[in-house]
Amino acid sequence: MKLIHYTISKLSVVLIAILSAWACLFYFNILDEILDETDDSLENYKNLIIRQVLTDTSAIDHHNDLMSQYMIKEISEREAIHYRERYFDSTRFYETELEFDPVRVLKTAFRGQDKKFYELTVMISTLEQDDMIEAILQWIIILYLTLLVCILVVTEIVFRRSLAPFYKLLNWLNTFTLGEKNPPLDNPTKIKEFRRLNETIAQMTRRSEEMYSQQKQFIENASHELQTPLAICRNKLELLAERPDCTGEQLQEIADIHRTMGRIVKLNKSLLLLSRIENGQFHEVKEVELNPIIRELLDDFREIYEHKELQIQLEESAACKVRMNESLANTLVTNLLKNAMVHTPPEGEITIRVLANEITFTNSGDGTPLDSTRLFTRFYQADNKKPDSTGLGLAIVQSIANLYGLRITYTHANGKHKFSLKINKL
Amino acid sequence: MKILIIEDEKGLREVMTQSLEKERFVVETASDYPTAIQKINDYDYDCVLLDIMLPGGNGLSILEELKKLRKRESVIIVSAKDSIEDKVTGLDLGADDYLAKPFHLAELHARVKSVIRRKQNDGDIRIDIGNLTVYPDNHTVFIDNNELKLNRKEFDLLYYFVANPDRLINKTTLAESVWGDNIDQADSLDFIYSQVKNLRKKMKQAGAIPEIKAVYGFGYKLVTIPEA
Repeated sequence: MKLIHYTISKLSVVLIAILSAWACLFYFNILDEILDETDDSLENYKNLIIRQVLTDTSAIDHHNDLMSQYMIKEISEREAIHYRERYFDSTRFYETELEFDPVRVLKTAFRGQDKKFYELTVMISTLEQDDMIEAILQWIIILYLTLLVCILVVTEIVFRRSLAPFYKLLNWLNTFTLGEKNPPLDNPTKIKEFRRLNETIAQMTRRSEEMYSQQKQFIENASHELQTPLAICRNKLELLAERPDCTGEQLQEIADIHRTMGRIVKLNKSLLLLSRIENGQFHEVKEVELNPIIRELLDDFREIYEHKELQIQLEESAACKVRMNESLANTLVTNLLKNAMVHTPPEGEITIRVLANEITFTNSGDGTPLDSTRLFTRFYQADNKKPDSTGLGLAIVQSIANLYGLRITYTHANGKHKFSLKINKL
Repeated sequence: MKILIIEDEKGLREVMTQSLEKERFVVETASDYPTAIQKINDYDYDCVLLDIMLPGGNGLSILEELKKLRKRESVIIVSAKDSIEDKVTGLDLGADDYLAKPFHLAELHARVKSVIRRKQNDGDIRIDIGNLTVYPDNHTVFIDNNELKLNRKEFDLLYYFVANPDRLINKTTLAESVWGDNIDQADSLDFIYSQVKNLRKKMKQAGAIPEIKAVYGFGYKLVTIPEA
């Protein structure tokens, strides 16, 4: 749910309640006021009639017109003593219109000049009042709805305007990626809170970027510093193995340690390479044709794949050229080819197809697809873990691909693994 | 043959010295920049192993100093910083080779011997071991003047043994030296076994006196004068 919708829905609930209460209160007060007003006029009318009757007894009769009417009727003294003046609503039949219309009635008693007691009934038609009340109700509803809509629309507009810097910031954060070139945050605003938010976020991202580059630098330095001690260890082992007093068993042990050292050295080299790629230390870029690199590699690896009895087919239908660093191009192709060779079971098949803007490596496997979401992450190894694999080969491939905007994808079909490297031509 | 090792790391300096002395080189060492400058000024060496990152100065300026002195020393840069820029600058400044740390001792021997040989007899370089003659530049091998046909990798393998005669070479070292880092270790043992077996067979059939011997589980050794 968007913030604006949330706010408006909450605001609507409250507004509807308040405005409804207001409208009801207004309506009933008006009604009350109108009734009061009617009763007041009845009272005035009554006083007028009584005054007239007192001065002119002949007027004791009844009067009738379209709007008002009064009747005077004699009553006994006993009745008069207990008489109570009252107002009430009633209806009256109008002969002219042949229908009953609503009236407000006042019944009161008075004593005439002739010392007799009379009952006075005064009526006022309330037909127009009802019309008026209806009109008032109608207008209240119209105004109520208009007001509600206006408030919500204005809120929405003001809200959108004032939150614009917030959404801009949100979008910027969305596109922000650590370790890549990010556009500076350009989000000028007069609102103090947003200015602070901008500053805080800019500061935070700067800190993260610093930390990230320090981290990368640290990995590079650490790998780098490890090179010499590793060299010493390995070389000492090589010298130790040459001592004539070494027994066969000891030699076997030394060979094992030497192999393990070899793994550390490889791991370290791969990490160093990865951090160098990510620290952007390969500056020289030129147009590199990948076909000869692949051919050369196949020649270099010939004994290895022949030993494993792998069938490797190279299908070149065009020259594939990429603008990139030459040695990274070499690493890229080597890692893909090596990956295919290592994971193809003996006597399996590898097909390499080279098109102008795509290279695919297809190799037979044990039939289970690999986890394509984790395949290119560091230290990922499939279930049939190779004890001597560094788990960094494909991470390096991904890293190089990212550097030059190439796209590496993995698919699995007919029991074969397929890695394709797409080159976007400008 | 005199070699100067310029290296600030004591441990590495010691193993390099020990190993090269076994190859009957005379080895001197310098652990910092001033010592190195003084030694190259005072003495002549056949080969200088140069670490680029030195306390007290950049190793690359030692190369410039050598150039200024018009010395003909072969120089191999030994660096932990396996960067192409360093390599290119070093080679431009007159270094003969570049070896990245960590390296195998056998690899070091091969490189040292190769640069020294190249400098000694400009052109016709040959190595003789028993009745085996190897011409590294044109990749040919003769046994008693009969050519032994080897493919490229077999030659590289043999050359590696020839550069380290009578020394124990680890199997994985051998695989890495010939097929590079790219060989998968898991497959390498079985693989190198069959490769060496092939080479051994070819040499034996051609009647070579030096013989490649397997040493327990560790590796191989080129025995120059096999016991009867």
